[in-house]
Amino acid sequence: MDTLEQFVEKFSNAVDFQDAVELTGDTDLKALAEWDSLAALGVIIMFDMEYDKAITGADLVACKYLSDVYKLVA
Amino acid sequence: MAQVKLHNVRYAGMTTCVPHRVVSNMRDCPPHMRGARERLVRNIGIEERRINASWQTFSDLAFDAAEKLMAELNWQREEIDALVIVSQSPDYLIPSTAIIMQDRLKLSHSTIAFDINLGCSGYAFGLHVLGSMIAAGGVKKALLLIGDRSAAVIDPLFSDAACATALEYDPSAPPMYFDLNSDGSGHRAIMLPAGGHREPYGLQHAVPYKDEDGLWRSTAELELDGPAVLSFSTQVVPPAVRKLLEFADCPIDDVDYFLFHQANKMINETIRKKLGVAAEKVPSSLRDFGNTSGASIPVTMTARIREQLDGQSQRLLMCGFGVGLSWGTCLIDVKGAVFPELIES
Repeated sequence: MDTLEQFVEKFSNAVDFQDAVELTGDTDLKALAEWDSLAALGVIIMFDMEYDKAITGADLVACKYLSDVYKLVA
Repeated sequence: MAQVKLHNVRYAGMTTCVPHRVVSNMRDCPPHMRGARERLVRNIGIEERRINASWQTFSDLAFDAAEKLMAELNWQREEIDALVIVSQSPDYLIPSTAIIMQDRLKLSHSTIAFDINLGCSGYAFGLHVLGSMIAAGGVKKALLLIGDRSAAVIDPLFSDAACATALEYDPSAPPMYFDLNSDGSGHRAIMLPAGGHREPYGLQHAVPYKDEDGLWRSTAELELDGPAVLSFSTQVVPPAVRKLLEFADCPIDDVDYFLFHQANKMINETIRKKLGVAAEKVPSSLRDFGNTSGASIPVTMTARIREQLDGQSQRLLMCGFGVGLSWGTCLIDVKGAVFPELIES
């Protein structure tokens, strides 16, 4: 399983941030301007292709912090 | 398991018609949304779309496509035994647009004409229905008209188009293979809820509301659950393609082109990567024509590989997926068929 740092890099690419942002496990997703439906699509694809795991939009809506998204990998 | 092998049916030709009006996703966008729109365009891969004039219906485009195709094939109107329309943009709720088109195209009264209510998945379903009528005997020449009027200036996804496809009875034609599926448990993923008998139009549908981007919306508009559609598409399409190839006993390398419904770049690239197919074998019309609903497979054929198809011999794997939910895959050998240049109306 990826470390949190490895996961954060993949997450960042999947969301496709317009400007560079500092991301940690404590990052509040709602504070990210790009945390929108497009980001959800990117992250769902990333889980599918990188971790062979099917997650849903509802799984992501239930996440408050970036660490919550990381926990979905397990 | 709806897997079908059809004999004696030849794919004789196909024509695409799009409106001449071009909408740019970057230029035709409210100023406050331009930053977000740039990111959106980069990810969905749609730069320009075609949009009908206010007076123009799906059937107006389909009429021009059908006229051109019949002329190119030198088919006489009285020879057309069946006319099937696959669309969710009828002229009226009643009667079927196909019956109106029988008269507009001056086809014989003995022509079978009816509509099929399907969207993005519809091309394989339409080919199957019409192909089955030909294979059963009786119907010798037939037209399939497919497409929708679904573009709106502000919506970055949808684009208008109509395509006419000609099928004919030919005992020497190679077999066509189909795999067709439905999952109604996902019917809310893509839905136009208002206007039917379950939720008739009322005053409440005339009251606009502001969405999170500050744009005025109506509750009578199409509702689309993006994550659900993406998950469905990327999960069902790759195995459906493999299943059909197995049914047809066709190695994946024997397919000349893979033609997928043009949903958006994220979905289509994920499907392509999962199947491990080279990009050169998977043409895309998304950049210039967006998501043209059920027409997107034939639109891609005309816009991207017309010269490789026109009069040539190619093995095509087509897969449409979406509203319903439904998904349909077919394997068709196209040989010596006519593919006229794109028509703009």
